[in-house]
Amino acid sequence: MAGGHSDLRESVVFQPREGGKARPFAMALVDSTQQVLEAAMRGSWQRETALTNNIANADTPGYVRQEVNFESALQGAIAGGDPVSEMQFEAEPAPAEASPNGGSVSVDQESARLAENGLDYQSLTDVINTRNGIIRSAIGLL
Amino acid sequence: MGLFDAIGIAGTGLTAQRIRMDVTSENLANADTTKGAGGQPYQRQDVVLGEIGRAGGFSGALSGAIAQVGGAQPAGGVQVTGIVQDATPDQQVYDPGNPEADAKGYVKLPNVNTVTEMTDLISEQQSYQSDVTAMQTAKAMFTSTLGILK
Repeated sequence: MAGGHSDLRESVVFQPREGGKARPFAMALVDSTQQVLEAAMRGSWQRETALTNNIANADTPGYVRQEVNFESALQGAIAGGDPVSEMQFEAEPAPAEASPNGGSVSVDQESARLAENGLDYQSLTDVINTRNGIIRSAIGLL
Repeated sequence: MGLFDAIGIAGTGLTAQRIRMDVTSENLANADTTKGAGGQPYQRQDVVLGEIGRAGGFSGALSGAIAQVGGAQPAGGVQVTGIVQDATPDQQVYDPGNPEADAKGYVKLPNVNTVTEMTDLISEQQSYQSDVTAMQTAKAMFTSTLGILK
């Protein structure tokens, strides 16, 4: 059976999108999926901070709204085969139509984005919980 | 980026909106005050908001620069940079029976429009509510993070 396992390991290859560097699939507690999930959680958290800042500054004249586009940065890193474990995301100005007070924040849109981001984050933690459950059942903790 | 930045930022929003509500209440309370400071009719006050760390005068710029030297991004948020007086002229109302009336029977009343103040109050209340919602979203996210440890 041991030989069978090694055959399986060599036959399954983690294939990144767009012809990035392919890596042999290795079952580990912290695999690439886990790292991507963690990076997405970090990005979602930073977006939460940026959106909260937008809402706090909804009445600040001349304020330019900020957005964290972590999905595109993460997709680029995965496609290029770059490591994602230490990825940091930055809030960037994302101007929208100016409101009468000179700011660019629409509180209803920001609230909708905030709710969406919260659900995204919730789904990420749910996936991590499920994966942890699988690992726990595999090592007999459940 | 700190763990509790989002809650802190929403907190600065709550403080700023509360100060705006305080000032609006003062305007409403003094809507008919004919003798304010200096014996003149009360003048309407307005709150100026500024972003923490990027705008907001010298102290805001300084604290933002210190945070950047320290390797941390400015957490952000909003602050009250000043409470200014509205320079709109006073209202003139014909009321000869009023003890404050001038020789022609006109009384100078504050430049406070009750309708404007009430709509401002609604807007402030809604902004306050939005900040509370943002804080609750951050709290839900903390809770779901803690759930991973279970």
